[in-house]
Amino acid sequence: MKNVLTIIKKEFNRFFKDRRMVITVLLPGLLIYALYSLMGTAMSDLGKVDEDYKPTVCVVNLPEMLSEPFGAAFELTEGTAEECKTKVEEGALDTLVVFPENFTAELAEGRTPEVKVYYNSAKDNSYFAFSMVSGMLDAVNKTAFTVNSSQDKFDLANEKDMTAQITSMLVPMLMFALLSSACMAVAPESIAGEKERGTMATMLITPVNRVEIALGKIISLTCFAMLSGISSFLGVMFSLPKLMGGVITAETAALYSVGDWFMVLAVIISVVLVIISAFAVLSAYAKSVKEAGSIITPLMMVIILLGMVSMFFSSVPPLGLYAVPLLGSGLAMSSIMSFTITPAAIILSVLSNLVTAALLVVLLGFMFKSEKIMFKK
Amino acid sequence: MQEILVANNLRKSFKLSAKQRKLEKTDVAVKEAVKDLSFTAYKGEIFGLLGPNGAGKTTTLRMLATLIKPDSGDALIEGKSILADCNDVRRRIGFLTSELKLEDFFTPDYLFDFFGSLYGVDKTELSNRKRTLFSRFGIDRFAEVKFGNLSTGMKQKVSLVVSIVHDPELVIFDEPTNGLDVITAKVVTDFLEELRRDGKTIILSTHIFSLVEKLCDRVGIIIDGRMIKLDTLENLTRDANLEETFFAIYNEVTGGRL
Ligand SMILES: Nc1ncnc2c1ncn2[C@@H]1O[C@H](COP(=O)(O)OP(=O)(O)OP(=O)(O)O)[C@@H](O)[C@H]1O
Ligand SMILES: [Mg+2]
Repeated sequence: MKNVLTIIKKEFNRFFKDRRMVITVLLPGLLIYALYSLMGTAMSDLGKVDEDYKPTVCVVNLPEMLSEPFGAAFELTEGTAEECKTKVEEGALDTLVVFPENFTAELAEGRTPEVKVYYNSAKDNSYFAFSMVSGMLDAVNKTAFTVNSSQDKFDLANEKDMTAQITSMLVPMLMFALLSSACMAVAPESIAGEKERGTMATMLITPVNRVEIALGKIISLTCFAMLSGISSFLGVMFSLPKLMGGVITAETAALYSVGDWFMVLAVIISVVLVIISAFAVLSAYAKSVKEAGSIITPLMMVIILLGMVSMFFSSVPPLGLYAVPLLGSGLAMSSIMSFTITPAAIILSVLSNLVTAALLVVLLGFMFKSEKIMFKK
Repeated sequence: MQEILVANNLRKSFKLSAKQRKLEKTDVAVKEAVKDLSFTAYKGEIFGLLGPNGAGKTTTLRMLATLIKPDSGDALIEGKSILADCNDVRRRIGFLTSELKLEDFFTPDYLFDFFGSLYGVDKTELSNRKRTLFSRFGIDRFAEVKFGNLSTGMKQKVSLVVSIVHDPELVIFDEPTNGLDVITAKVVTDFLEELRRDGKTIILSTHIFSLVEKLCDRVGIIIDGRMIKLDTLENLTRDANLEETFFAIYNEVTGGRL
């Protein structure tokens, strides 16, 4: 066990004293945050106009009945129809509203007079003015009945249910993608890299048990990948409110208890252990970091797909599925987030991952013993 | 004389990939690198393995150091088999060869402690050894410089020092003076003589005659994977110098083809 610690200490030294390594691992989270926030802000800025904005409107033949509300809502200007159209086109004026000369009389006779509203949809302000004008005109005719004009909650969807449903689909998928790319960032470099550079061989002539070397490597790499995974996860979580425009809010986290988050963490750690061990085995097999990358990529795709499987279950999946490594973890994460997890399911999913990881560590140890694998040219 | 190393009928062949076959211009799928090699090394001597490029010296030493397994045959190091008790063997030997690299990122100081810990060397003994070995090789001034930033000679010295961090009984050095200038090479050869005085056993591979003449007590000449001649340096250089003796043997074996 002392040797495992020595190796872990060395890996940590290697990792944390190398600014480049730390940056490659933490950068994705920051990038995701910056990118998603930017996208979210850009999307919600689209067609957004300052709420206090008072559009400039030119009205021809303004009827008596509308002069008061129009005067309050708009900056009214004078001008001929032709002049104003050009101004609207150029953006100097927001809209031109043309009423028929005998608007009030036509209304009284029960006819439907046409009001012409000229606007420029390429200008946010003009489009805003147009919708205000048409809203006000609509109101003129609505006297028979009203819809939803009282102060009540009409949207009856339960906020907790909806958020839970979305997070339960999103979190497993996101985590699997983020964690496997985090593992990809550290495993090939540390295993195939050491093999390629000949520093692994130096460790292999020491009397240290090969399984201890494997274990030391896996534990350290799991920590680094967790760090990277958590950083990306935080990046996503903090930027989602902006990206999703309020569907997922900062309060989402508060929907779940501390216990729920601990279960998620336990599942995530066990998932990272499996992915890292699997990637490490492939890296040990590869001759170079580059080759390791290309061998791992297909497996990474499969893992990301496994994270999506939970989306296809509308009801609680059979317990046996939770015992399938990785697949079960995706289901477990999803169940935790939708409040349907059972103790048996969580234990099965974590345990199956731990057993798989342990077997892979032993396999890695055996690979370290094999001269065919370690010294093939 | 106490036997430290007994190698019996070591054989090793490598499967050649299609690419390797093309490079070496051969159709045979298997390269026999070491063919039935036997020899013994005694306590307190420097044993030289002398042979041309590709003779199988490095392959032999890699088998002794447990990096690769012989196809057949075995070797005992202080009675421990390189096949059955490889961890006991690893504790007893120090191996230096160009294939074993140290991580560029770490300092000599860190590397020495790291490997010392892996070999289970006691803390105080480790720091004593570090102090004497580092000052002996002039590494102390570079103890905190990253390995990757050291000069070739300094790298070789650090590799050497790290390879004997656990004070092994048997030191196996593959071409230890390769790429070193005469001054650094002399530091290394002087050190090997010092190790011999301390009663350590040294196995040295080289193709440099002068190095063998200067250092070795006994010499094994390897040509094409076979031990062609094994004798004391004294006997080998009785009638002619080592180079002449070598070529006489070489011509006899290969029929004069070079
Ligand atoms: N892993 C390998 N795969 C295939 N052939 C190999 C392998 N290792 C060594 N050989 C071959 O075995 C033969 C002996 O190689 P070895 O490295 O032992 O020679 P050497 O005596 O150390 O030579 P040098 O003085 O050039 O270092 C060479 O022909 C080499 O090409
Ligand atoms: Mg060699």
